[in-house]
Amino acid sequence: LDLSNCSLHSVPPGLAEATAAIVLDLTENPLTTLPNGSFLGFIHLQSLLLPLPLECPGGSDAWQNVTADGSSRLCQGQRNPCNSSVELAWPCPENSACAPDGPGLVQCLCDNPFHGYKCLREGTFPMLLFSGILGTATVSLSLLLWGTQRRKAKTP
Amino acid sequence: MAVPGSFWRQPANRGLVSHCTHHHIVVFLLTFFSYSLLHASRRTFSNVKASISSQWTPSCLNSTAPELRPYELWNSSHLFSNAEEATLFLGTLDTIFLFSYAVGLFVSGIVGDRLNLRWVLSFGMCSSALVVFSFGTLTEWLHFYNKWFYCCLWVVNGLLQSTGWPCVVAVMGNWFGKAGRGFVFGLWSACASVGNILGAFLASCVLKYGYEYAFLVTASVQFAGGVIVFFGLLTSPKEVGLPELGADEDEVSVEEDANRPLMGNDDVDDDDRNYSIQATDNDNQPKAIGFFQACCLPGVVLYSLAYACLKLVNYSFFFWLPFYLSNNFGWKEAEADQLSIWYDVGGIIGGTVQGLISDVLQKRAPVLAVSLLFAVGSLFGYSRSPNSKPVNAVIMAITGFFIGGPSNMISSAISADLGRQDVVKGSSEALATVTGIVDGTGSIGAAVGQYLVSLIQENLGWMWVFYFFILMVRNHLFLKILVKAQFAIGGFWENLGTVTS
Repeated sequence: LDLSNCSLHSVPPGLAEATAAIVLDLTENPLTTLPNGSFLGFIHLQSLLLPLPLECPGGSDAWQNVTADGSSRLCQGQRNPCNSSVELAWPCPENSACAPDGPGLVQCLCDNPFHGYKCLREGTFPMLLFSGILGTATVSLSLLLWGTQRRKAKTP
Repeated sequence: MAVPGSFWRQPANRGLVSHCTHHHIVVFLLTFFSYSLLHASRRTFSNVKASISSQWTPSCLNSTAPELRPYELWNSSHLFSNAEEATLFLGTLDTIFLFSYAVGLFVSGIVGDRLNLRWVLSFGMCSSALVVFSFGTLTEWLHFYNKWFYCCLWVVNGLLQSTGWPCVVAVMGNWFGKAGRGFVFGLWSACASVGNILGAFLASCVLKYGYEYAFLVTASVQFAGGVIVFFGLLTSPKEVGLPELGADEDEVSVEEDANRPLMGNDDVDDDDRNYSIQATDNDNQPKAIGFFQACCLPGVVLYSLAYACLKLVNYSFFFWLPFYLSNNFGWKEAEADQLSIWYDVGGIIGGTVQGLISDVLQKRAPVLAVSLLFAVGSLFGYSRSPNSKPVNAVIMAITGFFIGGPSNMISSAISADLGRQDVVKGSSEALATVTGIVDGTGSIGAAVGQYLVSLIQENLGWMWVFYFFILMVRNHLFLKILVKAQFAIGGFWENLGTVTS
């Protein structure tokens, strides 16, 4: 995604949707700062070109290779932040695991059988089995009891 | 109406044995299980409190940690901003339920006289099942969380559930007579505890799929039960042409027996003035006494307060135990649910054993007093129990034994104890009014107590909740002593048969 020389003064709001970008070029834009969550979700980003005054998002630890030349800075090779010390500082809650969420950003996603809000739920409820058993039991008991009890009942 | 003191002229076991047909067995089982199912669905709510509370709140981290992502997964639910507020709301829901249950009992008693018991019971069961389903399952499937909706549904649930008890007791009364049914009714009155155990068990099995499935399971089973009751219940021997149980049994005070099973381990009371109207198809017009007149009788107010204290503790255990276990010890909710079953087991055994002991000794008061003293000790011990499941289960069972037993016995003895006064003697209406006042105050006290429990827990922690319980049990003992001093009654052994499981 090439956004160089677009006279951007700040990160465009539409950028957040371009999370599938692998290469992003922001050079030659009069950007002053990169707000913190600008690259949220950019897990595929491997190559980021920024104007020189800006630092690589997530710091140098988040990238394998940071080079600066002339008027631009190149951040290359996004590292998986879950392997670094950032993740250890605040481990994910129960039943979830760290997953990358962009350069230097982590998110907690549910581990495999868990799902739902706060990863509280595990597996899927056997709805068919349950309703089958309950339905059969109800019908058979009702018929049985009706036959033995109420059939001869006279309504008072 | 019969003198309340002279109940057991003769146990009517003869009636039981000679007339026991398969109809009797089916009626016993159907009423037993229908009340159990009603109780089970109440219990489900208590069992899933921790899960619901985390569903309603965003994730709570200490302020130093950055916010969890993705937002929808961890923080999107803002019904309550933190767990303490959610707990308070849960306590409020319990209180609302108890209040509407008490109101519903009053209405059901009147209505039950005029309508077919079978229709009322199955309607109550099925519609309560639908309400519980909407409360727990629909709201989760639609992701519609709204405090007022929950409150309204729970009020309706309380009203609908209240149809259960008067109906099942009336049906049992029709089939098993109003006298001398010590053993049968003793066994039958375990239905509330069995319902608790069933509810806890079902909930813990299904909880891992999500709390909405716990509600789904208990609601569906209850609905199925309602259908089965509709097709299979015979409300009275008259319906199949069997002779109706005799007029000679009318002499026995209905309220007396009515009270006995009324207090399952943790059930809400009934205003059984209405129950007695329903089950006593009676001839003599007893002289009624006014409500305020009944209140002013010596001992009534004190007895009501004493009863309220004990009921408060019993109810609080019913409503809060699983939540306490998972909150305080950090155990998984499903395990907490399974463990909380031990309290009910202790209660069943306690009621039975203490009933037997008081039958043998022919005195009820010492058994109760001793048991309550031990209850204070066991509550204290329980509050200090270590984070170990077997030890906790044992202490919990012991606590249930010492609190559940007296609870059953006392509830059954209300009319016996208070019925000795001249104004009330010989008047079942008056007795019913007095019993109604005591039961009603007990319930309301218990209802208020639920809210207090959540309040105390939020502000002071669980230890203070236990101190509160201990205080209540002590108050109860103290007030009972005062009542006895007022009456200067020697003993209660005339009513030994009234002691129920």
